[in-house]
Amino acid sequence: MGLVKPGSRTSPLSRLDVRPKLALVGVVTVIAFVWESPLLGGGLAFLALLACLASGVRLGYLRNSLFLLLPFALLILITQGLFADEVIRMRTGQPTLTPWLTVPERVWWIGGASMSVEGMVYGLNIIFKMVTMTLLVPLLVFTTDADAMVLGMVKIRIPYKIAFVLASTLRFFPLLFADIQAITEAQRLRGLAPESMGPVKRARVYARLAVPLILGVIVKSQMLDVVLQSKAFSGSSHRTYLHESRLRPGDVALLVALALALVAVLILYWRFGIGRFGGPI
Amino acid sequence: MSVRSGQVTPLGSPCPAGRVSEWSVQGAHPPVAVLDRVSYLYPHSDRPALSNISLEIRRGEFLGLIGPTGAGKTTLCLALNGVVPQFYGGRFFGRATVAGLDSLDHPISRLARHVAVVFEDPETQITATSVENEIAFALENLCVPRDEILRRIAWALEAVRLEGTEKRPPHTLSGGEKQRLAIASSLALCPDLLVLDEPTSQLDPVGTQEVFATVRELNRTLGLTVVMASHAAEEMAEFADRIAVLDRGEIVQVGPPDEVYADGVRLAQLHLRAPQVAETFALARGKGLSVPRIPVRLQEGIALARDLSMQHPLDQPVACPEGIAGHPLPGTDKAPLLSVRDLHYTYRDGPEALKGITLDLYAGEYVLLVGQNGAGKSTLVKHFLGLLRPAQGQVLLAGTDTRTLKVSALARRIGYVAQNPDHQIFNATVEEEVGFALRHLGFSKRQVRATVDESLDAMGLSDVRDRHPLALPRGDRARVVVAAILAMAPEVIVFDEPTTGQDYRGAQAILDVSRQLHEQGKTIIVITHHLYLMADVAQRVIVMGAGRVLLDAPIREAYHADDVLASTRLTPPQAVLLAKTLHASFGMDDLCPLLTPAEVAGVLARTGGPRWDS
Repeated sequence: MGLVKPGSRTSPLSRLDVRPKLALVGVVTVIAFVWESPLLGGGLAFLALLACLASGVRLGYLRNSLFLLLPFALLILITQGLFADEVIRMRTGQPTLTPWLTVPERVWWIGGASMSVEGMVYGLNIIFKMVTMTLLVPLLVFTTDADAMVLGMVKIRIPYKIAFVLASTLRFFPLLFADIQAITEAQRLRGLAPESMGPVKRARVYARLAVPLILGVIVKSQMLDVVLQSKAFSGSSHRTYLHESRLRPGDVALLVALALALVAVLILYWRFGIGRFGGPI
Repeated sequence: MSVRSGQVTPLGSPCPAGRVSEWSVQGAHPPVAVLDRVSYLYPHSDRPALSNISLEIRRGEFLGLIGPTGAGKTTLCLALNGVVPQFYGGRFFGRATVAGLDSLDHPISRLARHVAVVFEDPETQITATSVENEIAFALENLCVPRDEILRRIAWALEAVRLEGTEKRPPHTLSGGEKQRLAIASSLALCPDLLVLDEPTSQLDPVGTQEVFATVRELNRTLGLTVVMASHAAEEMAEFADRIAVLDRGEIVQVGPPDEVYADGVRLAQLHLRAPQVAETFALARGKGLSVPRIPVRLQEGIALARDLSMQHPLDQPVACPEGIAGHPLPGTDKAPLLSVRDLHYTYRDGPEALKGITLDLYAGEYVLLVGQNGAGKSTLVKHFLGLLRPAQGQVLLAGTDTRTLKVSALARRIGYVAQNPDHQIFNATVEEEVGFALRHLGFSKRQVRATVDESLDAMGLSDVRDRHPLALPRGDRARVVVAAILAMAPEVIVFDEPTTGQDYRGAQAILDVSRQLHEQGKTIIVITHHLYLMADVAQRVIVMGAGRVLLDAPIREAYHADDVLASTRLTPPQAVLLAKTLHASFGMDDLCPLLTPAEVAGVLARTGGPRWDS
């Protein structure tokens, strides 16, 4: 699919059953939501990044994904810096926050508002949550065979039709990206140089991608529909399976470890405040 | 039509016993499928896609479907498995039964037990991530037990000679292997009928041969009934028992290949093509040679040509005829327009795609770039276009290193017509499409208008300037793209597989365009597998294989270098193979390396063999 290195199918994570991987995604998401400490949240995001790299997810893909998050991250940082005072006072009990920047009075609507250091740190914590969850997607998708994903989802009682549609959608994305690339290339081969255009003109040119792209998607999905019908696909869960989804010792060990980790995180949070905003860590 | 009798052991088939025994005996059972006065109109269409079709498909036969684009071949294929009309809707008249089941009364999933379909595009029809899962998918849907699925996978892979690929991801297979996988997936269903809709149109010649040979073997050894729609006339003549000819939704002829393909006049009226061997002898007959029966298969033609040449030697040497192939190649005294120097390129995580390519292309040439899939043709052209930058070596356009030029700047000098013209169409009218790039290149309104008029006129599109480009037939869509490229006045135009997926008329229309452009002085580069279509348009052939240039020669020399062509999975056109038979008899000194059916027919007619008038 071009987004993962060829070795990714042999990475430790790719050898696991999809169920412990889904559990991993679930547990890490819960932990990311529970922890408000930017230090722990950052650590978790860093670990997710390392896991992606170890699983062969392309650096370029990660860079692009994180780059797309950048405007949202900036927005979060600014809004939390400006408007999170109440929440922070409630969580830390601090009567006053440390100002970092005060907006001049003459600025409309937010004039006089002050960006607090604590608010920005709190914003950082939200950004790390967002980064962690963004990194979990390729970690699951790129290390799991689509057929194995269907099988695993059926095992956890997701109806076959829904599991098939989900897996097919994931498989469709690389095709979509390939089409976008082919059309962009075709435009450049028609003498267009979007890089030397202004933003409005460039947007107008890119908007024209839609015509061949939508047409291509319609044709492909209709063709796929005909192919599936011809292969007796009806979406019924009443079917047999070539492969069996069995949990191996490694899968069970990961499930146990995840359960223990979740319990430990929750106990540490509620009992000792570890992971709380303004807590010991 | 050959009639088989007796029982054939079907390679240890795991199919239900009743089904297997039915496969092997022909004639003793009712037909596999019967179409009785079937007519069909797609939704919102007032023109029937099928019109009053009555056809019996006999058990154990290989039935070929031929016809120009839009004749109804695909619709007929889909009517056999119930997709038409159950999936598409529309209006269906008459009755279609397969294995005794009415296609209207039984759901597609039920009919899928009896009719398996292989589609044109090897990419779209593969839905699983491993070979074994691909074969298993339909069996799982039909609730076949796991042990049985395993048995059928092993059997089906053996039958199409893909053993050992069970765990491989399908995208790592070649085009021919992917289609054989699709056939294996179908075969595993133990169907009564295997339907193949243009399964070889995207394949190179050897991939095409592989698919035909596999299907024929299954038909011969297992007695599997086959219906195949295809434009591949040579292979159809070789392998089919009967041919049904469709035109505008109607069956206009059904008969053995010898009968259908020997009638060149009728085929021409329908814009169809006979195998070159049949065309050659029909032309020779037209020149007075007495041929009792027009051969439609290569070996029959070779035998006849050998007999004629042995019995009736040439009275004088035959020089090469006038024509584009006889034009001298531009001399090396002129500076090359495009120059490639020791070009290497390796794709990320892939093998080395180009291994030290060095060649020169001169202004005004018509060059073919040929070679098997993966030979490096597209990679080389992407370097011309600036889409790829050399890892090592240089590409020079009129002496300028292309690394110093932007893609958009190169595009004004080298036009590119993609295999799928739809990827290059973005606008709501033909006129806007042709002027699209010009508006962004700073042309004034008046200049845009004048240039667009000129390009539309050159491509014969003035009458459709206000129509949506995507509403035009595929051949015209390609012309729209060519017109848009012409508007930028490039010196070089590259056609990437322009005839793939086209019927004979469509292919000829695009080649006519390329010929016109060449006559206007443009340099033409065509990437193609269809050597038989190019013999009277091109001058020079660059044969590529495994990232290297294997041969760079005038077309007469290249087409006769069958060892080099074979090393990159290409086969010379039948006319060249017939010519080689004549060369074996007459010697090369006395006979020019012939290329086309007309040239070979000319020599056959001169052998002094029996004549109509004697």
